[in-house]
Amino acid sequence: MQTNTTYRPVAVIDIGTSSIRMAIAEIGSDCSIRILDRLTQAVNLGKDTFTRGSIQHETIEDCVQVLLSYQQVLLEYEITTPEQLHVIATSAVREASNQLAFLDRIYIATELEVNAMDEAEVNRITYLGIRSELAQMSTDASIVVCEVGGGSTELLAVHNNQIDFAHTYKLGSLRLRKTLDSYGAPITQSRHLLEAEIKRTTGLLHDHVNSDYPLRLVALGGDIRFAANQINGSWDSNTGATIDRESLETLTNNILAMPLEAIAQQYPLDITYQETETLGPALLAYVEIAKQLEIQQIQVSGANLRDGLLQEMALEEAWSREFQNQIIGSVLDLGRHFDFDEAHAIHVASLASDLFEQLQPQHNLDPRYGTFLRVAAYLHEIGMFINIRGYHKHTMYLINNSELFGLGKTNLLLIALIARYHRGASPQPKHDGFSTLNRDNRVAVSKLAAILRVAVALDASRNQGIHQIHCKTDTKQLVVSTSDATDLSLEQLTLKQNGSLFEEIFGLRILLRSHATKLS
Amino acid sequence: MNNSKLPNNHLFNREQSWLQFNRRVLGEALEESTVLMERVKFLAITASNLDEFFMVRVGGLNIRIAQGNLKPDACQLTPHQQLELISEQTHEMLATQYTCFNHSLCPLLEDEGIKRLTIDDVSQEQHQRLSDLFEQDLFSVISPLSVSSDGSLPLIGNQQLHLALRIRQDDQQHPFRIAILPLGGPTPRFITVSAEERHAFILVEDLVAAFCQNYFPHEEVVDYAAFRITRNADMRVQEEVPTDLMEEMGHVLDERKVSDCVRLEVAASCSSELLESLQQLFDVPLGFTYCCDGPLDLKAWLQIAEMRGFEKLQIEPWPAVTPPQIDPSINIFDQIKQNDIILQHPFHSFDPVITFIETAATDPHVLAIKQTLYRTSRQSPIIDALVAAAKNGKSVTAIIELKARFDEARNIDGAQRLEQAGVHVIYGVHGFKTHAKTLIVIRREPQGICRYIHFGTGNYNEATAQLYTDISLFTCDPVLGTDAIAFFNAVTGRTQPQRLDNLCMAPLGMRQRILDLITFETQQAATGKESGITAKLNSLVDPQIIKALYKASQAGVKIELNVRGTCCLQPNVDGQSENIRVTSIIDRLLEHSRIMHFVHAGEHRVFISSADWMPRNLDRRVELLVPVHSQSCKEFLLNSLRSNMADNQNSHELQSDGNYRRVSAEGVTPYRSQEFLYQQASDSVRQAQQSPATNFVPHQRIKS
Repeated sequence: MQTNTTYRPVAVIDIGTSSIRMAIAEIGSDCSIRILDRLTQAVNLGKDTFTRGSIQHETIEDCVQVLLSYQQVLLEYEITTPEQLHVIATSAVREASNQLAFLDRIYIATELEVNAMDEAEVNRITYLGIRSELAQMSTDASIVVCEVGGGSTELLAVHNNQIDFAHTYKLGSLRLRKTLDSYGAPITQSRHLLEAEIKRTTGLLHDHVNSDYPLRLVALGGDIRFAANQINGSWDSNTGATIDRESLETLTNNILAMPLEAIAQQYPLDITYQETETLGPALLAYVEIAKQLEIQQIQVSGANLRDGLLQEMALEEAWSREFQNQIIGSVLDLGRHFDFDEAHAIHVASLASDLFEQLQPQHNLDPRYGTFLRVAAYLHEIGMFINIRGYHKHTMYLINNSELFGLGKTNLLLIALIARYHRGASPQPKHDGFSTLNRDNRVAVSKLAAILRVAVALDASRNQGIHQIHCKTDTKQLVVSTSDATDLSLEQLTLKQNGSLFEEIFGLRILLRSHATKLS
Repeated sequence: MNNSKLPNNHLFNREQSWLQFNRRVLGEALEESTVLMERVKFLAITASNLDEFFMVRVGGLNIRIAQGNLKPDACQLTPHQQLELISEQTHEMLATQYTCFNHSLCPLLEDEGIKRLTIDDVSQEQHQRLSDLFEQDLFSVISPLSVSSDGSLPLIGNQQLHLALRIRQDDQQHPFRIAILPLGGPTPRFITVSAEERHAFILVEDLVAAFCQNYFPHEEVVDYAAFRITRNADMRVQEEVPTDLMEEMGHVLDERKVSDCVRLEVAASCSSELLESLQQLFDVPLGFTYCCDGPLDLKAWLQIAEMRGFEKLQIEPWPAVTPPQIDPSINIFDQIKQNDIILQHPFHSFDPVITFIETAATDPHVLAIKQTLYRTSRQSPIIDALVAAAKNGKSVTAIIELKARFDEARNIDGAQRLEQAGVHVIYGVHGFKTHAKTLIVIRREPQGICRYIHFGTGNYNEATAQLYTDISLFTCDPVLGTDAIAFFNAVTGRTQPQRLDNLCMAPLGMRQRILDLITFETQQAATGKESGITAKLNSLVDPQIIKALYKASQAGVKIELNVRGTCCLQPNVDGQSENIRVTSIIDRLLEHSRIMHFVHAGEHRVFISSADWMPRNLDRRVELLVPVHSQSCKEFLLNSLRSNMADNQNSHELQSDGNYRRVSAEGVTPYRSQEFLYQQASDSVRQAQQSPATNFVPHQRIKS
């Protein structure tokens, strides 16, 4: 059937721990994705980083060769502009001490800009890849999405299409293999050691998962796909496969008992030699996580990081509303962890969002910053959990050292600073964190902190009385009017105290008026 | 086959089975009802087949012995035992060949005015003309090679005709010396002698022998004889060490020129003294001297068989037809987009395959072309098209197999030409021969990227496509397209091999896939369900597959195999293979396609493949097994298989003792598969022409 959909060829390259993978696809004008080509080449990145700390020269050159050969394929599809190609690297590159030297060498040899993704971004992209699958799952279950990689294990807890919890554990199959090697233990004891290591790392997992609902485990990653292939035979990667824990454990035991050469020989189409080294530990990690969650059936997904990256390119919505909502789910989880005043936090966040939207001409920031403001608003008081005195600084510390789904370290710092400046001193170049920002981000933090101060002031009485606000600006002032409350004296007083930053930044005096008063 | 010498281990020996195949071809030469020139052609083919058999198979056994690898084969025969059997049987075969030649074909040819003359048969005038011809055209071209007294040899070309001469010399210790006249190269074998006959000729060895004394005016030529040696050609590139493959192949070709002699053929008239000298000179293995009761190198008689002017003695031509599903006036890509297209060459012309590549080379929407090349023709239009495509800015990748035996030199030339044009050339895969036949065209279309693929069972060689039966499948099935690209990326080293959705490749998983398909039928039959296997192959050797077929037979699966050449499976043995029938067709076209059909619980899975069921193909070659999805293409192939199995004119059935028996047409309607399939192809074109498309032509007033 002829359609009017037009297509553009795109590609994503994922520089992972044991391989460099490329997916070439076509994205339709209707946002559909059609995979054209998938390529995989084995490399030793993870082995280098997780055993020596840095990537060896030979490995860097291997990566260059792989990328050059991939560029030949890209030319065949006329994928030639940077907009058509995303190249990302994960933990093996991110954690290498010579990360910059690696990225520079790649750039010099191939002119490819590699984005060394941080854990939060990997989580976010993974979620993008799997969300359509999750959406089809039952809403009355808590779903734990788990991917055991070479360097780390990503976990997302999702309920009712909302992310409750996201965490990256320093538990990777290569790290496990390294642990095993460092013990120099005989093969008979290796399983025991690995189990202990896995339990030690993921011990509190159960506490983070909402156990009010039945639990389901969705496993991602090449190792678990390998297991599904062996246990179930062929399966459709679009619909996924279900394997039972016992079968997985049996397979894992067999794999752990096999010499690596034998694994490579037995499964030539399923695994590279490099991957044989980590297959056993990775599968064991899945088994142990399933045991900790007391889950018998494991749902294996065909989705992968590249699917997520393609989704992102297709939707061009790195910061879509849905994604923002997912971040908020994880933010609320953190807020509750620090016993925040949830009603107040939600209300301030809502007011801050309204202000952000209505003051767009004044701040001129993209929607991504709106999300940062909202997150800061939710969390601005969590520092009280430590001490009421100077709590805004505690807030900054807590945010900066927490893990929030989809938010990388730079973003977390921005949020932490916005929250920190919701009271107290105005941003100063000498302040920790603030001094490390570039000019654009410094300005953004100041603008958003100023808006947050207004939002906080608008619920100064903590009764969530003001819902609807209307902002009107002229050359000298911003008038915020509302018809929701008649007594705004506390809010007006607070605004007077808190509004100085707003005036400093935007050059506008701020006034709060009640329509209700006028009308009466 | 003389079974008493073979241990019964449920498999026939591969070499013995191959010799049986050549015997069947020889049977066609002996068949009196066959057209004369076709008989001559079959005889020439048996000689040509034996030439390759000695170079490769006998050569391989000799190498094994030299390396001390005396392990018995799957049939429990040691290399020595195999050589012994080969020697015995090839001597018998040679005797049959020359009986056929001397007592049957030559007299018949003479009756038709095609006469071989010797120097004693010619008139004075003819003698003079031949003498002039020798002096002017041959004397200076043919230079005698001297064998020194220490026995060191000049370079004697593999399978080239030579004349050995014994010359008396003044040396009491060595009263005779040997000289050799090479008769190959540019020298024609058949020299026309004007005579009353329609075509009288003298063989070059007879003519040169008649005047050989001219080379040695002061010495006496005591005796002479034509001879030919076969050298071992089973050398391979040592791929363990990374080297420049093109350079290494050059070394292999050089090595082949001086490799050990595995066979000596000599004219039966050769004196015992001269024969002994030749045997010593070439260190001929015991039992591998063949005294021929007639002219050597009978494959040269192909020239006679194909000679113009004797059409009445030749088979009627079967001009290839363009299948009705292909309209040359419409873009080939548009036609493939409508439906998968299947062709059976040479009944169907090979032109659409060439058109496919030529169109891709100039089509502005084509981004890339990827192709495997195993054996191409001398002036290959396919290589021309790839060169043109590269010059037109397409991204072209060609895997050209430098290790394709006896085509190495041609492939090296082709590879260099392609490289010069900017084609990305891969010289095959380290440690494997790339035998798969596939061609992928990546085209950008308004609906997105589309991959058009051609899968074949035969080579991209328009010359052999006129003589071999092969299948071509054109498709743009997206799953097959993705698989084909993944296959290509794996073979060119751009990716690790991946699990393919529909295609299956050797050496990664093809055997297992075939075993799985056979096992499924076995399970079906064991539970009383519908089952069945039909396969058409060139060779069936793989012990694992044969065992699986035995098991299937024991479970009750009906198995029909049409195996043109070597078949190590032992059919019709009670409790082992009573449900297996093996036939082989030897007809005017070389049966070459590989087609498989598995009933598969009524799903009827049909495949075409580049691979035979041999360890060589499944373990040491890169091959493809291609599922055919289109219902009409499946029907087409099933029809072809049914036709092959029904042949009762040129079909031979393998017996449980290893012998073949011609399938009898007694009491049934004669049915010749190749003729039927050609007729069917022609009829379909005729029918299509007779039912033209409905076009409405409106009546209009003609303006005056």
